[in-house]
Amino acid sequence: MKKVLPSIAALAAAAVLAFGPATAPAQQPPIRLGALFCVTGGLASLDGPALAGAKLKVAELNAAGGVLGRKLELVVLDGKSDAATIATATSQLIGSDKVPMIVGLSDSDHVLAMGPIGQKAGIPMVAVGATSPKLPAQVGDNLFMASFGDNVQAAAGAEYLLKKLGAKTAYVLYDTGTEYTTLLQEYFKVAYEKGGGKLAGTDTYKSGDTSFTAQITKIKALRPAPQALYISAMPDEIGVIVKQLRQAGVKLPVVGGDGYDTPLLVEVGGAAADGVAFTTHSYMAPDGSAPVKKFIAAYQAANKAAPENAFAALGYDAVGMAADAIKRAGSVEPAKIRAALAATSGYAGVSGSISYTAGNRVPDKTVAVIGVKAKKLYLAAEIKPAFVPAP
Amino acid sequence: MARDADPALHVALAGAAMAAAWLAPQVLPDHVTRALIVFALHAIFVVSLAFTNGLTGVFSLGHVAFVALGAYTAGITALAPAMQVAMLPKLPAVLAAVHLGFVASCLAGGAVAAVVALVVGWPILRLSGHYVSVATLGLLVIVEVTLVNAKDITRGARTFTNVPTDTTLPWAVGALVLTLVVLGRIAASPTGRALRAVREDPIAAASIGIGVRAMRLLAFTVAAFFAGAGGGLYAHYLGSFSPATFGFPLTFLLIAMLVVGGMRSLTGALVGTALVTLLSELLRNAERGFAIGGVEVPALFGASQIVLGLVLIAVMVFRPSGLLGDAELSVRWLRPSRLVVSRPKESST
Repeated sequence: MKKVLPSIAALAAAAVLAFGPATAPAQQPPIRLGALFCVTGGLASLDGPALAGAKLKVAELNAAGGVLGRKLELVVLDGKSDAATIATATSQLIGSDKVPMIVGLSDSDHVLAMGPIGQKAGIPMVAVGATSPKLPAQVGDNLFMASFGDNVQAAAGAEYLLKKLGAKTAYVLYDTGTEYTTLLQEYFKVAYEKGGGKLAGTDTYKSGDTSFTAQITKIKALRPAPQALYISAMPDEIGVIVKQLRQAGVKLPVVGGDGYDTPLLVEVGGAAADGVAFTTHSYMAPDGSAPVKKFIAAYQAANKAAPENAFAALGYDAVGMAADAIKRAGSVEPAKIRAALAATSGYAGVSGSISYTAGNRVPDKTVAVIGVKAKKLYLAAEIKPAFVPAP
Repeated sequence: MARDADPALHVALAGAAMAAAWLAPQVLPDHVTRALIVFALHAIFVVSLAFTNGLTGVFSLGHVAFVALGAYTAGITALAPAMQVAMLPKLPAVLAAVHLGFVASCLAGGAVAAVVALVVGWPILRLSGHYVSVATLGLLVIVEVTLVNAKDITRGARTFTNVPTDTTLPWAVGALVLTLVVLGRIAASPTGRALRAVREDPIAAASIGIGVRAMRLLAFTVAAFFAGAGGGLYAHYLGSFSPATFGFPLTFLLIAMLVVGGMRSLTGALVGTALVTLLSELLRNAERGFAIGGVEVPALFGASQIVLGLVLIAVMVFRPSGLLGDAELSVRWLRPSRLVVSRPKESST
């Protein structure tokens, strides 16, 4: 015992010397951010890049000294694209990991599984990629969205058709298999008719279909022929649809939403994807704006691959917005973070400037319209729609 | 299960389970309670699946269709009236007039599932072997397509939300105990023996006057009732769901649980569900990365699915009839007399 005591004292002295007053702030525990992403299962192609973006932002913030003098730490859980797992994981993040806020998820169903639990516990949440504008009203005042609502991108699509392409009649084809594709085309129809466009008709298919011959035959038989097609589709189908359309000789312009925003459109569609345009969060290409270029370079360095889609930027921005709110709140108390998040104004993200105005928890954002020409993407327009359908 | 009937012990076990279910939420963290609720609900699905697949040998792949029907029935009938008008404005008047409480809506879910099972089972159950599996798989697809397209009633592919979340652990465990007791009693009764006879040799069974199709239909319908009622509880647990919630991933999960535990045993189904749930919860927490003795193990998402797959393969290779095989877990195993037989040396001390 006598031998032990002095050595403990010596250790303590050494510890004081090593981690003395000079590094005191670094000794504070890191700020733990809950990160709930479905990195396995059906939503992995969206949530995977979103998580990679979120991690990149955390690394950058920490390299720059952290937030409130403390490092940030992501507490990552996999939601497995399953509602019951997401509910359990949410409760775990809040109850066991004691995170003051949660970022994550790209699917509206998944956000509805997470939302009520965080809302009940008073933990603010930022939904990264879910685009249903009804979510904040469905969940409550602790849910914020990092992306625009489907009503905004549908309105931008309608405006692009009417003003840029001068297409006054459009035919709608949509996937009845998902909430997103169903809502998107509903908003589109409202915005398009409000803007003076005329709907030539509507047809449907279901996720997983592989032949669209019946729908295409109907489109070819339309008299008078519509001037454009609005197709509300998921990533897996849109490439196949445009390919079959062009093979059948339908050369009409095709417009849709951010479901097109994966490499699949050009990979599957090939040359047939010419004349396709879609609304999305950000133009993620090396010839984009300066912040986008910087983001792409950093993402490339961290992941050895270019950003797969705009969800990478959304994950990056969601963490940035969260850190910004914590900084302004000056505290990691959930209620204060919530208040600071609600007051977010002009946060300059890679996916656009984010503001929550007039108690709205869906940000006002500019929509990027991206076109395809000779298998290459280009920025066709940036639209802040004048008329937006009610959520 | 009840063959070695010792009702007092069974009642005591059920009572202990209920007491534990009541106590657990007060001492355990919320997420563990949630995992236990999901376990109890999955166990209801798997035990009822074991009832058709195991007892009668009718290998149904469409069990999740009944879960979905139960969930939607419970969801629609349990919506608050104002919410129902907002979410389902075009709901047929007949349905809109029905407003049920928590328990009643779950029972209604079971009833709808049972009626559908009866109607669909009549033609399907003339088939046997792989043909039934394929036909029931068709049922799963048909139910999903119907849910997606009956927009006025189900909101189609859009999320069905705002279902009151009333399913607590005592409710879930209570329903599981009830399921085990009822199905266990039937399995141990003369009817249960008739069901097994049909499974072992339909022709021989028919020759001694057992109605093969009627027996299969009985098992199919009863199992569908419990799956539907369990689906109702699931709806009241999740609060929000869509047709995609009840697709192939859930189907395969339930079948994996059943196969691991032992297809021909109700308690085997329970053991399989417990094992798979425990394993996937442990792995889910391990795959986020952890440190052992200063060595940092990085996050490896998806590892849990791989390990579960390996466990399934291992069970198939080493115990093709599942962990319990034909046997039922029994309170008899707990008796001293049994311990004497199996481990004389230990019991003598």
